[in-house]
Amino acid sequence: MSPGEIAQLVVNGLVAGTVLAVPAIGFTAIYAVLRFPNFTVASHATIGAFAGYVVNTMLGWSAGAAVVVAFLVAGAAGVVNDHVVLRPLRPAGALTTAIGAVALTIVLENVIRFIFGNDLRGYDLPIRRDWRWGPLRIGPQQVENLVIAVVAMTAVFVFLASTRTGKAMRAVADDPTLANLKGIDPERVARLTNFGAMGLAGVGGMLLGLDTSIDPLTGFRVILSVFAAAVVGGLGSIPGAVVGALTIGVAEELSLVSLAPAYRSAVGFVAILLVLTLRPRGLLGERAY
Amino acid sequence: MTAQTHISRRMVLTGAAAVAAAGLVPPRTWAQPAPIKLGTLTPLTGAGGSYGPSMRRAMEYVAGEINAAGGVLGRQIQLVSEDDQTSPEAAVRAARKLIDVDRVVAIMGTWASAVTTAVAPLCWESKTFLTTVSGSDTITQLPHQGYLIRTQPNTHLQIGKLADFLISMKARRVFVLSAQTPFALPSQRRLTELLPKGGGEVVGAVIYDKDKATFRSEIDQALRAKPDMIYLNGYTPDCTVLLKELYKAGYTGGKVSQGYAVNQKLLDSMPAEVSDGTYAASPSPAVESAGYKRLAKFLGASDLDPYSCQCHDHISLVALAIARAKGEATGTAVRDTVRKISQGPGVKVDSAVEGLKLLAQGKEINFEGASGPCDFTDIGDILDCQIKFEQAKGGKLVFVKMI
Amino acid sequence: MENYLIAMATFGCLYALLALGLNLVWGMTGMINLGLVGFFAFGAYVSALATKRAGGPMVLGVAGALVLTAGAGAVMALVTARLRGDYLAIITLGFSEVVRITASNEIWLTNGTDGISGIPGPWRGRVTPEVFNLIFLVLAAAVVAVALAVLQRVRHSPYGRVLRAIRDDDQVAAVAGKHVLRFKVEAFALSAGILGVAGALWGHYTSFIAPDVFVPLITIYVVLALTAGGTGNNWGAVVGAFLVVFFMEVTRFATGWLPSLKPVQIAAVRELSIGASLLVVLRFRPTGLLPERIPRMEVP
Repeated sequence: MSPGEIAQLVVNGLVAGTVLAVPAIGFTAIYAVLRFPNFTVASHATIGAFAGYVVNTMLGWSAGAAVVVAFLVAGAAGVVNDHVVLRPLRPAGALTTAIGAVALTIVLENVIRFIFGNDLRGYDLPIRRDWRWGPLRIGPQQVENLVIAVVAMTAVFVFLASTRTGKAMRAVADDPTLANLKGIDPERVARLTNFGAMGLAGVGGMLLGLDTSIDPLTGFRVILSVFAAAVVGGLGSIPGAVVGALTIGVAEELSLVSLAPAYRSAVGFVAILLVLTLRPRGLLGERAY
Repeated sequence: MTAQTHISRRMVLTGAAAVAAAGLVPPRTWAQPAPIKLGTLTPLTGAGGSYGPSMRRAMEYVAGEINAAGGVLGRQIQLVSEDDQTSPEAAVRAARKLIDVDRVVAIMGTWASAVTTAVAPLCWESKTFLTTVSGSDTITQLPHQGYLIRTQPNTHLQIGKLADFLISMKARRVFVLSAQTPFALPSQRRLTELLPKGGGEVVGAVIYDKDKATFRSEIDQALRAKPDMIYLNGYTPDCTVLLKELYKAGYTGGKVSQGYAVNQKLLDSMPAEVSDGTYAASPSPAVESAGYKRLAKFLGASDLDPYSCQCHDHISLVALAIARAKGEATGTAVRDTVRKISQGPGVKVDSAVEGLKLLAQGKEINFEGASGPCDFTDIGDILDCQIKFEQAKGGKLVFVKMI
Repeated sequence: MENYLIAMATFGCLYALLALGLNLVWGMTGMINLGLVGFFAFGAYVSALATKRAGGPMVLGVAGALVLTAGAGAVMALVTARLRGDYLAIITLGFSEVVRITASNEIWLTNGTDGISGIPGPWRGRVTPEVFNLIFLVLAAAVVAVALAVLQRVRHSPYGRVLRAIRDDDQVAAVAGKHVLRFKVEAFALSAGILGVAGALWGHYTSFIAPDVFVPLITIYVVLALTAGGTGNNWGAVVGAFLVVFFMEVTRFATGWLPSLKPVQIAAVRELSIGASLLVVLRFRPTGLLPERIPRMEVP
């Protein structure tokens, strides 16, 4: 492959990675605060994508407004789902909750399928030609996705660093018992974390679909890459999720040099294996597992 | 001490299951002679979902006409319909049910080549007759012992005509983008073999998994080969994404696809400038035949898709074969008699009702269908077919030529 | 109709094998395998290719499936044995997806998404379909019986006690001098072998396999079967499997009573009910119908 083609892959990878970072942050945040891998990130990504689709195609809202709706709807769904389904399972342990999350993700995915059917759907947005610089081409939609993802991530960082609630979340993630002693209500923090994390998953799902199309399997297709991003960066670490996502995004694209496009998800799988075998804490993780 | 009868939970559950299963057996009606059960297995959903419902309606139409005229030798036709979801896996389960539970004489209308390939062994092993609209060469080459016929031109025929068309359009560098199907490789190979005869060549080919939402890398690969014509050898959902991505990538060369992929539904789902210029090839039904005209009137459409026409012919052929076999309603009987009513020196008929009448009078018939003459080779292929080429202009398909 | 019931009973046997396999690693050894459908697929492809492509006899295909899938299980266990439960869940789920992607992509080997059709079955084509189905049911039931006997033996043996000890607290087991890794790998390999045999039998029975058959939903069916039947209990695994097959087929007929739904909606309702059932069982009766009875040692 020529250097120009490789550069194109890196560009695609950085864009894909930035979009991947959004749900990865959500996943890792839930792991940090609630201590179990929440597979329902997949179905909430799909919920967000379809929520945005509905307001975009039926109400004619712009992509930006639809993304906000995706966040709110997925976030609300996340809170309800956790409260009704997953919270009662938590006393039985992380593994049972994780399995419950897999079952729940199948339920939610099929609710979407029930309402919308299996067909691929596209957002009602103008189809614009890619921009070109020399051998590189990048789509205007890709750039928009990049911007939205960066804005979302910045908001998360600011929230966690400066607001009181954000600091409370970090405290619970760090040491729940101590946080409780200090008067922080773990249930409230759990609710907020679910809202934010699943909202981010919903935004991620929509961003994935903006450039291409969506169907009930949208979230499921990326779940392995989301795990990989979170694990590579260090489960529980939000900056880690960002670094992990960029790494996975670029790695998946570069794999095209020698592998067929179908094997992209396999890259995520191999990455998880490598990290868990060689450096279980991930790149930025502080906890030893 | 008497032994305790311990009714375990397990026993209760198995007992309940047995009772429930028994309750699912339908009661028999003793009033009339037993109906002839025919199964329809069409893509009501999935990639072929644009055609399945209308294919089924075409078969319901013929069944209705036959039943109104007294049925086949006094027996009414009962259609049992299932959705193959354009998925081999779902189709196999549905076919199992049609064969084992409903005990149909024939399964009609399978559309996707992968579906037909999966269902065929179940049919020939249970001696159920299978009629299909799938085109892949590999299908009639299966060891089906005669239990399979198809009314669609096979890949060999289709690609032959496509090559003629591309040569006539002066395409020099053709890139083939195929979805994974049984006909992907045969199409590629045949095109590679035929194009050089007209000064063209296949400059590259990619086979992709059609269940993805984006094909960016496949498009990149295609464009690197600098083609002047891209053959989109897939189905509607993936071709929709491919056309959009080709547009975004700024590709200005030619595009050609099959009519079952680039159809009105696809054109309606995108702005005209994205689809403009795409050629589409479809087998042409026998638009002049009375059968076609009657079907068009019933379905309320002036321009019928080839599959509904073929399904109209499927059920007509099966019904006529059963009648010719003196009412023996089995897959084996249909296999042995279908060519006696589909081709040969008999009186030409274009409707099943008319054919049944003549058969009752002891005459031989030759059924000419709405999709074409319906004459089959020994392995179940049709002999020849006209292919219609159209081009997308302003969101509509415009006729270009017939080959 | 009898043919249909026999077919359902056969599927029940195949799911029972899957549940028994899962019980060995999860119920008895405490290692979750959310990728069991990947081993199922692996065994199916090995046997299908051995019999259809290479023309070997079915016995060889099934034996090959047993051995090769067990090998794959051993490799998987070696790589992941030290991982904590929920990490193992992620990795094993990923494994099954990678198997599916490979099967879809390596067309030269697996025929890709079109699948492998016409897989030979015992005396298929030489007897009527009714007789074939009956023969196969007997065969499948026999295999289940053998697997059950083997696993019950394991459970009641000192070997089984070590596995249970590892399940309950593997650090204690290690301190007690047990080579934990070796036990885990062996259990995983045996389990994978059973899953592989189930896959091989599936292919020979249905005569058709394709990547789309081996979806994560099947893993959920099996987890449901085991959880509902009773995790840790081999009989529970078998009972749970038949319950799940019964439930799946009842929903197929039940949705016939809701004629206003489109087929895709019916399919969605059926899948949804499986997931929902698992959630209900996890929540309200996680020990299942036939809870594990820890075998008591005889006190002399």
